Amino acid sequence: MARPEMARGGGAAAGALFRIGAGIVGLMIALAAVGPWIVPYDPYTATEVVSQPPPPLLQWPGLLIDTLFRGAPAPHWFGTDASGLDVFSRTIVAARTDLVIALAANALSFGIGVTLGVVAGYYRNFATEALMRLSDLLQSFPVFITAMILVALAGRSWGNIILALTLLYAPIYLRLTRAEVLTLRERGFIEAARAAGVPDWSIALRHVLPNALRPALVQSSVTVGFAILLTAGLSFVGAGVRPPTPEWGLMIATGAGQIVLGDWWPSLFPGIAVSLTVFGFAALGHALERRHAG
Amino acid sequence: MIGRFVVRRIGVAIVQLAVLAVAVFFLIRLLPADPVARFVGLNATPEAYAAAKANLGLDRPLTEQFAAFLGLAGDGRVPGLLQGGLGVSWVSGAPVAAEVAAYLPVTLELIGLAFLVAILVGVPVGAWGALKPGGAADKGTLVYGLFAGSQPEFTWGIVFIFVFFVGLGIAPGPLGRLSPLTEPPDAITGAMTVDALLAGRPDLFLEALHYLMLPVLTLAFVLSGPIIKMVRENTGAALLSEHVLYARAAGLPARVVARDALRAAFAPSMTLIGVLFGFMLGGAVLVESMFSLGGLGQYAIRSILAFDYPAIQGVVLVISAISLAVYLILDVAHAMLDPRVTL
Amino acid sequence: MLAETASTVLAARGLTVASPGGRAVVDGADLDLRSGEIVGLTGPSGAGKSTLAFALLGLARAPFSLAGGQVLIGGRDLLSLPEEAARAVRGRDIGLIVQNPRAALHPMLDVGRQIGRIWRTHTGGDARAARDRAVEMLRLVGINDPDRRAAAFAHELSGGMAQRVLIAAALAADPAILVADEPTSGLDVTVQAQFLDMMWRAAKDRGTAMLLVTQEPGVLANYCDRVLTMEAGRIVADRPTRAHFAGRAVTARATIRSLPEAAAAPVVTAVSLSKRFPLRDGKAVHAVDDLTLSIRPGEAVGLVGESGSGKTTAGRCLLRLIEPTAGRVTLAGRDLSTLSAGDLRRLRAKAQIVRQDPFDSFDPRWRLGRSLREPLDVHRPDMDAVAKAARVAELIRLVGCEPAVAEARPRDLAAGMLQRLAIARALATEPAFIVLDEPTSVLTPDARREIVALLRRLQDELGVAYLFISHDLTTVAALCHRVVVMYLGQIVEEGTTAAIFDDPRHPYTRALIAAHLDEDPANRRVDRPQPDRVEGEIPSPIDLPTGCYLASRCPMALDRCGTERQALAPLAGDRTVRCWRAAELDTDNEVRHAL
Repeated sequence: MARPEMARGGGAAAGALFRIGAGIVGLMIALAAVGPWIVPYDPYTATEVVSQPPPPLLQWPGLLIDTLFRGAPAPHWFGTDASGLDVFSRTIVAARTDLVIALAANALSFGIGVTLGVVAGYYRNFATEALMRLSDLLQSFPVFITAMILVALAGRSWGNIILALTLLYAPIYLRLTRAEVLTLRERGFIEAARAAGVPDWSIALRHVLPNALRPALVQSSVTVGFAILLTAGLSFVGAGVRPPTPEWGLMIATGAGQIVLGDWWPSLFPGIAVSLTVFGFAALGHALERRHAG
Repeated sequence: MIGRFVVRRIGVAIVQLAVLAVAVFFLIRLLPADPVARFVGLNATPEAYAAAKANLGLDRPLTEQFAAFLGLAGDGRVPGLLQGGLGVSWVSGAPVAAEVAAYLPVTLELIGLAFLVAILVGVPVGAWGALKPGGAADKGTLVYGLFAGSQPEFTWGIVFIFVFFVGLGIAPGPLGRLSPLTEPPDAITGAMTVDALLAGRPDLFLEALHYLMLPVLTLAFVLSGPIIKMVRENTGAALLSEHVLYARAAGLPARVVARDALRAAFAPSMTLIGVLFGFMLGGAVLVESMFSLGGLGQYAIRSILAFDYPAIQGVVLVISAISLAVYLILDVAHAMLDPRVTL
Repeated sequence: MLAETASTVLAARGLTVASPGGRAVVDGADLDLRSGEIVGLTGPSGAGKSTLAFALLGLARAPFSLAGGQVLIGGRDLLSLPEEAARAVRGRDIGLIVQNPRAALHPMLDVGRQIGRIWRTHTGGDARAARDRAVEMLRLVGINDPDRRAAAFAHELSGGMAQRVLIAAALAADPAILVADEPTSGLDVTVQAQFLDMMWRAAKDRGTAMLLVTQEPGVLANYCDRVLTMEAGRIVADRPTRAHFAGRAVTARATIRSLPEAAAAPVVTAVSLSKRFPLRDGKAVHAVDDLTLSIRPGEAVGLVGESGSGKTTAGRCLLRLIEPTAGRVTLAGRDLSTLSAGDLRRLRAKAQIVRQDPFDSFDPRWRLGRSLREPLDVHRPDMDAVAKAARVAELIRLVGCEPAVAEARPRDLAAGMLQRLAIARALATEPAFIVLDEPTSVLTPDARREIVALLRRLQDELGVAYLFISHDLTTVAALCHRVVVMYLGQIVEEGTTAAIFDDPRHPYTRALIAAHLDEDPANRRVDRPQPDRVEGEIPSPIDLPTGCYLASRCPMALDRCGTERQALAPLAGDRTVRCWRAAELDTDNEVRHAL
């Protein structure tokens, strides 16, 4: 009886959150796709002007018109950092770094975790028990510190970050999917298929897998958000991608030294970018979860 | 009954830690890192390289290294894991256990205060959000909870430094736990606020709190997200529950009904607090490094970037041990609160 | 008679409850409750019965809200009282018993405290007296060892026990009105009968006015003085119970089926079938114990017993959907236990199962046509897509539906319709044998009758054999030729339907039949003595009793029963019974005794 109320009250809010989340996520994915071709400055090449603040907001419309229609050189919209790099260009291009790492890690851990989860839930034997214990072991490591260890010791490359995150996130999908499969196993339509003589592999593939995907799909939005946080966090402490790669965490860390001097822009703009992106994924994940529950 | 449960759980935890110790030992040695090169530099002569390798014990077979790590072999000068030792740091030459003991209280103080603030704010706010489903408070707490819970510590640390230190000037700069000009109290517990009180120095206590203001604010902000979200959801579920409806139908006074609902909402929240605690140990790494607090997180960063294997092993084991202890305490508390949970 | 002289203690006028969209869930209900009278409120699910029951206390479940009308109690309108005054009326003047008693109790407070605090709230007594009152009330509702039970928590109670706690709580402040919302919906028949007898007695002794919401015609016929019928939010009929039942086919007896003539070889045979589920501590749940059974083509065998008696597990073992621990099953002449996995899958065409919950039986993502085609995909490689589609349409028509439902998804259909399609799917491969596992128990009484009629028709047309697992004796009597009674994993009695219903010999069978509520207000359970009843609830299948499994509950138990296991022994008239005193229990004896 509580269901309709939850679905309705939560539904309106979930609808709004879905639109906000999907909007932010869509924008960031678009920037990741075309970022390097639309930015006014090369994100790797320093300009002459060092630590230049961004132009006041009031001047932005005029500057935009000058740039677009009068052929004026593009202003440093977000200012320049202490080495003279254009913060705006780097913030936009960094979307590609963070999103590619996070999405790739999520896709890998999703694929591995869900596949193993279906197997571990549907076939319960010594091998799958051992798999669960291994997954327990992985989950008992402190996440952030383990990520630092893996990346720092294996080499600070995109690939290694992706692999480290995959190792840390696959157990989440494994566990979620296995739990779902365990309840599905008891469902009548699975038994009906068995009673009809449908082979096990076919039941696993046609009935179990499609019905067991939902929690993992809902989780994936949340996981991408966490993966972005982790990627940026790793480079913030110097255990992520190497400078001068445009990456939000790295840019924040580089700019952090200037903040006490009042130069807020080199770190604030990438900060806003991370903040917005992870909120977008969290909002989308929450909305999906509500739809799933309703 | 609780006693037996605790003993059994400690037994299980020891097994878990043992497996973890083995896993972390071999994991870091499986990774393609060269700690010797890190110490002697890339231009070292082969002789110097070999000497350094022997000095670190890395020339011996892996099994021997592992035996030394456990304390089964070696010269007995360095206590191994079985003797309660964590080895000697390759960077400082000091025992890892002693270093961890010095850094850990800082982290616990930071996390403890952040939890205190987040719970004091989050529980009433979350409960308030649940009172009227569909109302402004409900929507506001939902969005706030989602937002804060998703946020990076490093962004907000920077924002808070800019606003409260650079802008308003009401917070100290991110330069440590006390003003560089202040003589710190004797380190007894290692937690600055506690040591200041033990030394009978309320002025130092206030100064330590002042220096902790922004780090705690940063962590508590991020932490308040999931706490508010969870309290809001659990309270909302309890208010819609059959037993609350029945209590109303039985004519029980409104305050009794409210107490029932909160009681039912609180117990399931305890499990999440444990999860968050483990999570915060990671968040603390970022905050400590941003505010130069010199806690276990910063020690971890330093050790990892320096390929200091004994220190890395020590940090992982200590953090895992603390997480397991927190889970145990919360499980016992949960069982004492909720008769449905059997130990 | 009573109704005419007794005073009206509650009157609802124009009572309306609305959904957030403004739709009237309860639409202008008028009703009167008089002291000492038990009024049944019935109607299909979704008619608004529960919502009306709550509205009588001035409450509405979220998201519904009270939208108008009056509830007059003691001359005051509960709905227009200030909240504090209305609160004082609830629990003191009008008590509530709900459908799911364990959820209604707070999980973290002991039940004694929960009963006591309701009494305290309305009488102002102290904590000590409240505890005493709680224990007294638990004793009154027939709970053994009430001092210890008062310290129990909701999750430690069985459904029947929790329901007694709720009635103890409801009666604690001695209200003049009691509202019971489907109080026995989750209970077994013997427990249901015990509970309703006790509630009826308590209400009549105190002169309580009672509204009893139920969908069960048997409950209405046996316990209610008057019946209100609701449809789509409105009360459409208000008449004495006998008038409510007038013109209905009353007894199941008339429909008892005779055995089919053919003396063919059994289609399925189980010999000494056992199933134990091992537990962690070395013990095991004895779900099925030494079950021997055979079913002939065209025969319907009923398998009855309370929940926990092992009937569902027995059905699964017969199909080898779970592996029996011991014993042998022969299906269509082949020994299932020796078949390879591939052969077993091929043989599955011959034996099918229909489950209790039709919504659970279909993949929610699939259209029903695809689900119905699934068995054909496995067993009929010779058929092409067109032939399969034709077969699916034929199957759908066979169970009386329109072929267009093949395009629907499970959630688009009503339970009764979906259950027909589950039967159609079971028939797809022309099986010789179908296990029907409580196929009617989640359906409304009307849908239940339709399914039974369908199953009878299909059996007559197709000659398929059924094992019909059910706790509902009315449907068993209407469908089955033979009945097998199970208790704690064992068969305790087996015989023809007529023999079992007219002349039950095992004390458990007798109790089961005595607890069955006939839909006949002229022959009410409360009007006659009840010699055949079992006390308490079914023991744990883990720690089995040493002697006869029923000994602790049996009204006929002697010392010998507590120490000696009983064997299934044949008795005159084609039946077997597991009780050494069965021969004494002759119905004629019994009748003479009663006279």
